[in-house]
Amino acid sequence: MGQNQPLSQILDDVVLTRRSFVKWSSALGGTAALAGGLGTALHSAQTTEAARAAESTSQLITTACYHNCGGRCILYADVQDGVVKRLVPDIDEVDTIDQPRSIPCLRGRSQIHRVYSTDRLKYPMKRVGKRGEGKFERISWEEALDTIASEMKRLKEAYGNESFYFHYASGTQWPGPNGRNPVRRLMRLFGGYTDYYGTYSSACYSAVIPLITGGINNSADDMLSSKLVVLFSSNPVVTTSGGDNVGYHCMKAKEAGARFICIDPIMTDSCVALEAEWIPINPGTDVALVAALSHVMITNDLYDKDFMAKYSVGFSEDTLPEDAPKNSSWMAYVMGDADDVEKTPEWAAEITGIPAERIVSLAYDMAQTKPCAIFQNLGFQRRAYGEQPVRAIPILAAMTGNFAIHGGSTGGTVGSAGGIKMGGVPTGDNPVKGVISVFMWPDMITRGTEMTNGPQDRIKGVEKLNANMKFMWNHGGNTITNQHSDINLTQEILSDDTKLELIVTCEVMMTPSAMWSDILLPASTGFETDNVITGGGSGRVAWAMYSHQVIDPLFEDMPEIWMADQLADRLGVLDEFREGKETTEDWIRFMVDTAREADENFPTFEEFKEIGIYKKTSPGQKIGAAAFVEDPEANPLTTPTGKIEIYSPTLAALEDPEEIPAIPKYIPEWEGVSDPLRDTYPLMMITPHAVQRSHSTFSGIDYLEEAHHHVMWINALDAADRGIENGDTCYVFNDRGKIEIKARVTPRIRPGVIAVPQGHWHKPDKDGLDKGGCGNTLTKYYPTPYAKGNPQHTNLVQVEKA
Amino acid sequence: MNTKEWALIAYTILTQMSVGAFVILGVVHTLALRKSNEKEASALSDRALLAIGPVIVLGVLVSLLHLGNPMNAYRAISNVDSSWLSREILATVLFTGLGAVFAFLQWRKIGTFQMRRILAVVAALAGLVLVFCMSQVYLLDFEPAWNTAATPITFFVTTFLLGGLAMGAAFVANYSYLKSKPNLSDLPIQADLLRTSLQWIAVAAMILVGIELVVMPLYVAHLSNGNALAVESASKLTGEYGTIFALRLALGVIGAVLFSLFLYMTATLKKDRQMVNFAYGAFAVVLIAEVMGRFLFYAIHLRMGI
Amino acid sequence: MANQLGFHVDLSKCTGCKACQVACKDKNDLPMDVIWRRVAQYTGGEWIKSGNQYVPSNIFSYFVSVSCMHCDNPLCLEVCPAAAISKNEDGIVEIDQDKCVGCRYCEWTCPYGAPQFNADKGTMTKCNFCVDLLANGEKPACVAGCTFRALDFGPIEELREKYGHFDGPAPLVDPSVTKPNMVFTPRKTVTMTFDSKAGEIANPEEL
Repeated sequence: MGQNQPLSQILDDVVLTRRSFVKWSSALGGTAALAGGLGTALHSAQTTEAARAAESTSQLITTACYHNCGGRCILYADVQDGVVKRLVPDIDEVDTIDQPRSIPCLRGRSQIHRVYSTDRLKYPMKRVGKRGEGKFERISWEEALDTIASEMKRLKEAYGNESFYFHYASGTQWPGPNGRNPVRRLMRLFGGYTDYYGTYSSACYSAVIPLITGGINNSADDMLSSKLVVLFSSNPVVTTSGGDNVGYHCMKAKEAGARFICIDPIMTDSCVALEAEWIPINPGTDVALVAALSHVMITNDLYDKDFMAKYSVGFSEDTLPEDAPKNSSWMAYVMGDADDVEKTPEWAAEITGIPAERIVSLAYDMAQTKPCAIFQNLGFQRRAYGEQPVRAIPILAAMTGNFAIHGGSTGGTVGSAGGIKMGGVPTGDNPVKGVISVFMWPDMITRGTEMTNGPQDRIKGVEKLNANMKFMWNHGGNTITNQHSDINLTQEILSDDTKLELIVTCEVMMTPSAMWSDILLPASTGFETDNVITGGGSGRVAWAMYSHQVIDPLFEDMPEIWMADQLADRLGVLDEFREGKETTEDWIRFMVDTAREADENFPTFEEFKEIGIYKKTSPGQKIGAAAFVEDPEANPLTTPTGKIEIYSPTLAALEDPEEIPAIPKYIPEWEGVSDPLRDTYPLMMITPHAVQRSHSTFSGIDYLEEAHHHVMWINALDAADRGIENGDTCYVFNDRGKIEIKARVTPRIRPGVIAVPQGHWHKPDKDGLDKGGCGNTLTKYYPTPYAKGNPQHTNLVQVEKA
Repeated sequence: MNTKEWALIAYTILTQMSVGAFVILGVVHTLALRKSNEKEASALSDRALLAIGPVIVLGVLVSLLHLGNPMNAYRAISNVDSSWLSREILATVLFTGLGAVFAFLQWRKIGTFQMRRILAVVAALAGLVLVFCMSQVYLLDFEPAWNTAATPITFFVTTFLLGGLAMGAAFVANYSYLKSKPNLSDLPIQADLLRTSLQWIAVAAMILVGIELVVMPLYVAHLSNGNALAVESASKLTGEYGTIFALRLALGVIGAVLFSLFLYMTATLKKDRQMVNFAYGAFAVVLIAEVMGRFLFYAIHLRMGI
Repeated sequence: MANQLGFHVDLSKCTGCKACQVACKDKNDLPMDVIWRRVAQYTGGEWIKSGNQYVPSNIFSYFVSVSCMHCDNPLCLEVCPAAAISKNEDGIVEIDQDKCVGCRYCEWTCPYGAPQFNADKGTMTKCNFCVDLLANGEKPACVAGCTFRALDFGPIEELREKYGHFDGPAPLVDPSVTKPNMVFTPRKTVTMTFDSKAGEIANPEEL
């Protein structure tokens, strides 16, 4: 990368320690600026740590950890003589279930090493070689912003605003001034852009949970009342490891005596830590299991008939809508009335790999233990037919009588007890109405004008798109390559810069996606600028953090609000953009005002900045859909019929019973357990979350790579067949690509399944072998039928020893 | 293998060889005195004695390479109370110092013969204590591959085997030198002393390698019956490092048994040229075998726990 | 030692996340390869054929977070040739950086891998219980940073009273040799003891 040598040398030389910080500061001719005063807890019980820290020269200043695990944990920077010496977790001395400390996980604790990473972007740059080649040249901010503005004008003139796209990204998704909202606001003021629906996390869930329960569910702390908690496809101690999150509440529930069952192809760290019974299931077969569990409950009279009759649509034939065909109920499916296949435990055993007797005992356990909380998480909906299990699990919650009771669940993901409402930088209305599925942006590059609201693309807002994508703004995102499916195919599409003409990436790191951009804008991290982050809410406490700037921006990194403001000026929309607010502080004052309108106890801006953290507790233990159960007529669910919609008229109307059935069904997957392609590629690869990363954020951070090596889990039987021992370097490959990764040979994964944790950065060598071991080199770009979501856990591969 | 271990291999081999050489030399000198006189005995051994100096100094210097903080090296004798390592280092210092003083006095013939002899005995004892301490250093609770009787046994075998063969080679070199300087000694007496010494060294070498050949299989068997880590060490020895292990045993046999046998025969048959070759050859081959053996010693150990 | 400090690890709460490790490294500014607090994953069991399927058999896994045990009988202290290692009045085993020769002998003796070579400094370093934080009234970084509240510290007698005496979970060694000042709360389900052969360390490359 053609960057200024002496400075980049300094960067490359540093060993990412506080010593290096001093080196950096002196090299850049500045010392750390302390933007705020002493941050301490709001609570009257001032902690002794804070008090003592105040006596010494060190200052604990509130910052935050703010990535897309959803954690939003409380982090203090211990600043001594202008240098961040260490990070300190939430210093609150109170640590009860009513008000738990928000302790950041290992990712948050490594923030210093992320901020001073050698992968940081340092200057605005423009691409000079072929796109994706990785050749960039340093340019001035002036040139970068001028180029973007003039290109935006040119492309708008030539193709219209519909050709603009603000890409899905989760690097800076909070609504404050130093997040993604300012640029969205700016682009909307400039005429708008084609937007997306859904996310890479929850495409199928978001699409179909409104069609079964609406998604309302018990808060995480309500598991304290559970006797049994059944987790489908859920690994909360890894995915939401820190703070007041689901992981914390699961562990608290275990402590309180709840028993856990984890249904997952891998014995996750959650399964281990919760001392759960592990039911290793074949990937993509959860609906078959649910059908068989229902079968046991129905044939043994183990379910709540009255409840199903009163509250559901389509459980049995009598509760079907009038226009529904005969034998289209869940019961008809389960008992084989619809297709002559009775969904017995024996039938499911063949598909799921779970012995029939285990299915029977599980059904009894779930039906007879009360209260039993049945939760799903998002892993199994990132699959070929990810819509199906999302709608299947709530049926069990309802059948077992655990719907809307304390210690129960409505069968969706874990709910929340309420957060803190703050304002943000408003994005304004988008004049462009077309919205595409989050996953299908490559299609908008190659065939945007052919995309319609029909079954192939399911675009929303308009009947068809009128433009191909010509301009992409990628804001804190690594989804141009790393986090999207089939990296090699994606890069082939991107490599033609006559199609998508300009990619602007605003980033803190030189990510694999940044490598495929045309203009790079280096952004400040949370340590280099003020911001407001809100968190918590899964249990009884929520909080707002004033995240102070604790060091000078490194090199030429700039806050996001400044970039948007500068562009607004160049695009002639400055006054509308500002509405009287120019600086980060102006916008934060605006956010605080909104918060104070909703909560009179919320501190003033000055107080908030001084104290750094505002915690708000609630009674917690919220029951999802309690009002509905009390009076379904007066308080209907948000589903179209207002009931638990096992049979969905909305889906029935699509008339695609094979792939979008009106009731959830087990649909054998392409590249799934029964695909004949397994003769060639016998192993099913899933790409679960790793505790050392939040998606691709933190990949490459030294402390984290050291703590948890990037390894592929493979069962000892599969490893033995291939002569692979623990720690061996292996190749994983299919027709789409090949990666290199070390093996962790373990009994903690089903035979026939391998797990390549998602998010590690793609790093191709000259032959295209991905030395970074990024799972998406192998995943398939094939949207799910209804949500058009990402099936990144459905893949067939082969493994061999390198 | 990192440099730390190479330094330890070099240090342990060189110091053990020095101690062995010094002790063997003392024995040879004593025997030579019985067969001849002090002048001839000295002519046989004095130059060999001086050769030991550079070897041990090299060993000590190399040992510094394995320290992370060599400036503090002097502190390493601070814990003689409880640390075998401190004792080892102290013994190294004593042996080197006493040996150097003795060598100087012996070279210049300062002091009485009795006095020098007492000093030599004390230095030799320091050397043996050194090898003993060195072996104790490795008898650690959580190092199953080291914590066996094989460690002291093999350390002492190495000491005398390499010391003896090194001295054999040194005597041969010394004899060639004496032949070029006829006024220094009575050559026929020297030739006789040389042959006798070499015969005894050859016999000793064969016995010592015999001990090694008995100890090694017992050692492997012992590890194989031990805890998980001991078993892993044993399998490293026979698996991952199996070739080196086999080569090391084979070279020991070749050097000490074959070459020494021939050395014994040629010395007896007064075939001087061949005797010289076998003396050098036996030393070289056994040195390589012992270095390989010490390499394995460090390569296969595994500490218990985490 | 009357005031001997120790650690407590609740094995039923540890999720193996290693926030303790990273918190320790951050607080002590440790370079790569120097990891004063580490977390071992101990895993066992297998898949066996049952009919035409493979089914799991006795598969278990748990995590053990380990730092220096500040033993009653610290072998590192005993063998250190430079007498650089000492036990302070709180029973904390410390290495005097000015005395250490960097011979790495202590590394071979400690079954808990506590003394570790810092290549930048050329000396051995180890967990010092965050003595500077203790002096300030703070908790050790690992304890304060444990996301799932599995770690505790205090006078070992108090810890033993509160949590019991269990100090030998697998994959640790027989505690009778060094007498570690760390106690563990076993899990509700399976916790193997040091003499168990039921499993092995699953993540040796990370320790």
